[in-house]
Amino acid sequence: MSALFLLQQCLIGLTNGGLIALVALGYTMVYGVLRFINFAHGDLIMLGACAALGLVAPLGLAATGGPPSLATWLGIVAMVLLCGLFCGGLNVAVDRFVYRPLREAPALAPLVSAIGVSFIFMNIGLAWIGPADRGFPQVVPAASLLPGNGVQFGWKDLLVLVVAMPLIVGTMLLMRTTRLGKAVRAVAQDRTAAALMGIDVDRMVATTFFLAGFLGGAASVIAGLYTNTISYQMGFQNGLYAMTAAVLGGLGSIRGAVAGGFVVGLVRALSTAYAGERWTGAIVFAVLIVVLAFRPEGLLGHRVKEKV
Amino acid sequence: MAAAWKWISQRWEVVALALLAVAPLFVPALGGALGGQVTTLFIYCILALGLNVMVGYTGLLHLGIAAFFGIGAYVVAILTVPLFPFQIGWLAAAAVSIAVTAGVGFALGGPVLKLRGDALAIVTLAFGEVVKVTLRNLEQVTGGMKGLNPVPPPGAGVTVAGTDLGLAFAVDPRWFYYLALAALAGVVWAMRRLENSRLGRAWAAVREDEPAAAALGISATQVKLSAFAMSAAVAALAGCLYAATLSTTADPNAYDFNRSILVLCAVILGGLGSIPGTLLGVAILVGFDTVLIPAADSLIQQLSGAADRSSLLSLASWRLAIFGLALVLVMRYRPAGLIPSRRLAAEWGRGGR
Amino acid sequence: MNARIRVATVVAAMLMAVFGCRPADPGVVRIVSSLPRTGAAKQQTDSIVRGIRMAIDEAGGQVGPFRVEYLDLDDSTVAAGQWTSEAEAANARRALQDPDVVACIGPLNSGAAKVSMPILNFGDLLMVSPAATAVGLTKPGLGEPGEPEVYRPVGRINFVRVVPADDLQGPLSADWARRRGIRKVYVLDDGQVYGKGIADLFADRCREIGIEVLGHDAIDARAQEFKSLMARIKSSQPDLVYFGGTVQSKGGQLAKDMFSADIDAVLLVPDGCQAQAFIDSAGAAVLDGRCFVTFGGLPPERLTGKGAAFVDRYRREWGESPDGYAVYGYEAAGVVLRAIRDAGVKDRLAITSAALAISDYDGALGHWGFDENGDTTLGVLTVSVVREGRFEFAETITTSDMAAESPAE
Repeated sequence: MSALFLLQQCLIGLTNGGLIALVALGYTMVYGVLRFINFAHGDLIMLGACAALGLVAPLGLAATGGPPSLATWLGIVAMVLLCGLFCGGLNVAVDRFVYRPLREAPALAPLVSAIGVSFIFMNIGLAWIGPADRGFPQVVPAASLLPGNGVQFGWKDLLVLVVAMPLIVGTMLLMRTTRLGKAVRAVAQDRTAAALMGIDVDRMVATTFFLAGFLGGAASVIAGLYTNTISYQMGFQNGLYAMTAAVLGGLGSIRGAVAGGFVVGLVRALSTAYAGERWTGAIVFAVLIVVLAFRPEGLLGHRVKEKV
Repeated sequence: MAAAWKWISQRWEVVALALLAVAPLFVPALGGALGGQVTTLFIYCILALGLNVMVGYTGLLHLGIAAFFGIGAYVVAILTVPLFPFQIGWLAAAAVSIAVTAGVGFALGGPVLKLRGDALAIVTLAFGEVVKVTLRNLEQVTGGMKGLNPVPPPGAGVTVAGTDLGLAFAVDPRWFYYLALAALAGVVWAMRRLENSRLGRAWAAVREDEPAAAALGISATQVKLSAFAMSAAVAALAGCLYAATLSTTADPNAYDFNRSILVLCAVILGGLGSIPGTLLGVAILVGFDTVLIPAADSLIQQLSGAADRSSLLSLASWRLAIFGLALVLVMRYRPAGLIPSRRLAAEWGRGGR
Repeated sequence: MNARIRVATVVAAMLMAVFGCRPADPGVVRIVSSLPRTGAAKQQTDSIVRGIRMAIDEAGGQVGPFRVEYLDLDDSTVAAGQWTSEAEAANARRALQDPDVVACIGPLNSGAAKVSMPILNFGDLLMVSPAATAVGLTKPGLGEPGEPEVYRPVGRINFVRVVPADDLQGPLSADWARRRGIRKVYVLDDGQVYGKGIADLFADRCREIGIEVLGHDAIDARAQEFKSLMARIKSSQPDLVYFGGTVQSKGGQLAKDMFSADIDAVLLVPDGCQAQAFIDSAGAAVLDGRCFVTFGGLPPERLTGKGAAFVDRYRREWGESPDGYAVYGYEAAGVVLRAIRDAGVKDRLAITSAALAISDYDGALGHWGFDENGDTTLGVLTVSVVREGRFEFAETITTSDMAAESPAE
């Protein structure tokens, strides 16, 4: 198959990768501070998508065929902010009432609680939007921005990158350069030491949950506008690929999650294109197993010494 | 009275086994639908005990137990269904299946042993997905989404006192009930022995402090690999029984992540590393889904009659939330599980309150 | 403390066991249905159950000397979100064990039918499926080797269906495509018993009548989007894309992604996508005039006689138009009631035989009967096109059309 075809598949892979990376950040940040995989994150995004669907009409958005107007862009920004606040707030509340009481509990207790929370979220989603797939209005058209019929890169694909990239870069800068980021990283490295240094650990954990939730809320808006379908079961698959990306990149590593997201997106697109859609699921996970067999800490993770 | 109570609580396995063994004589429902449901419960109990070897005894988080369950079911089906020339009978096929699956567990364990807790968990999850997709796509061998059927019941073709044993199994669920109960009793007995064996102690040592265990001359690699293989073998036994009771492997989606998660939740909810805890966890979680909800819903339907058609009234609409809330609450108030293992409770210092 | 929990558990288990059984009541016949009532199929099964209840209500809850009771069982579970083998097997055993149950309506999925058929066959308990269409369930020689005998361990038929099997729908769809001048098709399926079965039949017939099959791929029904698959299909330039699958296996998403990828082809889908949910999830504007749906039998709005009366009553009662599944649910329950009346006794074998003997049923779907395999004699396929957010009748094809065009060219 031609070079143009390869280029097309890479573009699709990168676009998907941006979305996956945004979700993966949520996994890796929470893992960083609390050392547990937040299984409810995918379903949090599902609830965000339900909220986004509810916001379409109040924000004056509607399905269009033409290029998005300024009002549309403003509406989308408002939707990202509102859904981000919603998911961030929800995530903080869950941390406060479910995970915080378990800080000193056996390591697997928060994990099982997270699975429980994910079931509760799914039931809320089921009651909210019903059991069937729901169409999400095509607020941003799919029409290609590029001339000719060779390679397609539409407004929707642009939207993913325009929303995801600033958030990803912003998160990286926030964690690297600000006092807040430093404090969160300190908590991630050693909770007790951070507390002794006068850092309010509970507040930093809550902040992390809020940031993770906010990014998830933004991802839910993108997922709605990009795939144009939401369902109460969408959290699982979204979560699974993002979780894979976070582990592939190195759990706890911000840069790793971003890199992992793009790698998973590309592997998915290319395996569908060349091996066939039916094998895609297996290939993505096989890549993960192979990478981890050779680099247990993930692509960009840090080797951690086991302490006696 | 108090003495009797003490006697019972010390020998709870024997008492429970005896009660369950005589139950079909007094409970006619066990000859029908309920028998099938309870048999499924027993099979899940075996699966959970297999997972407990990894998660409870050895402290390795495993999110792909369903894959081994599935491999066990499929190997037994390949060796027995009329589609293929083997047709070696269920018992022999089950033995092969358990050995093969243990080998697969061993082979997976090798390359990923270096991984630390959560990365290992994700690898087992990934392995589960790879197995599911492969089972779905290798249609010539696995029948794809159609699955393989019919898996003949154990003893098909063997005639005892004028009755074909296979037919007996197919007609009366009590045969499977006793078969699964016997297998479960065997697994519980074996686990009890293992807990206090050299290997069992090595598992615990690696779980509690790997570098310290290594310093004592315990090979962490060997110990972990044996846990991988043992857990795969027990899961395969459950898979063999599962395929036989359903008379089909069902489709590959029956062995997906959801099943692994359900069993994992049961083990942790009941109490990691604790045999009675694991059994109780399965009874609660799986029983809720397969026995209690259908029974409660048909009761609601019969009471309210056809006049009330609101779907909100049915428990089924809220089962996800009930299930999730149960997990959250148990973890909140009994973080070490409902019946924590004594050893682990001591380790955490407060689990058994 | 802990010991008390253990013992309490055992006692609770015993109590539940006792709770499960009740004595037979000679004045009552009980009909159960086993359908996925949780998860993505809920909308379709809601329609079916409404149809069943309406048929029973119409009969005044009475057939001959018997009072009719109906029990709506679920063959899906929380954890799975769709039908599971265990739940289907448990429902079957439950029906078999309850002496008042004389018929089981269901299941929805062909895969589930494979699980429950051999179990219910032991009791000669009548099964009437409103939706399971895989050919191997009834037709000798068309399915896997050994089908359908493997589902009939006692050697008698107990499974009938009111919906035409896929050997009607798949090949007739290909004939329809050729009539429209289609030369190149790309075939997709969801990998499930129904979807893959019908897609294979469609592809085989295409090759037989000279339509080029550019590719045949299976999708993952849990994937979120299919953009790269669509880019691949686009590069092969088909005239038509066929999707063997259902609303629950991402039919809507597939349609959406296909048309946003600017693929200049029509989409053809089978009856598993014939539900308003398909249009709603794909978007009405996206499908307008470009998406065709095949459906065994006539669509609800073109039914006459009893069918038209049913459609009216359904609208009055539920405030919306019935979909195809509602009619099949109604028809399935109607057949069960007729079989009980014909048999006149509360005996499973008699009722099953009475159902198989029905050759002149005057129901909502028209005049039809069961053939020697328990399949409907209806041989009509409707092709609808999606227009303005609704399925609009386009044309009908019958088996005789197919015979006329069959000679190889």
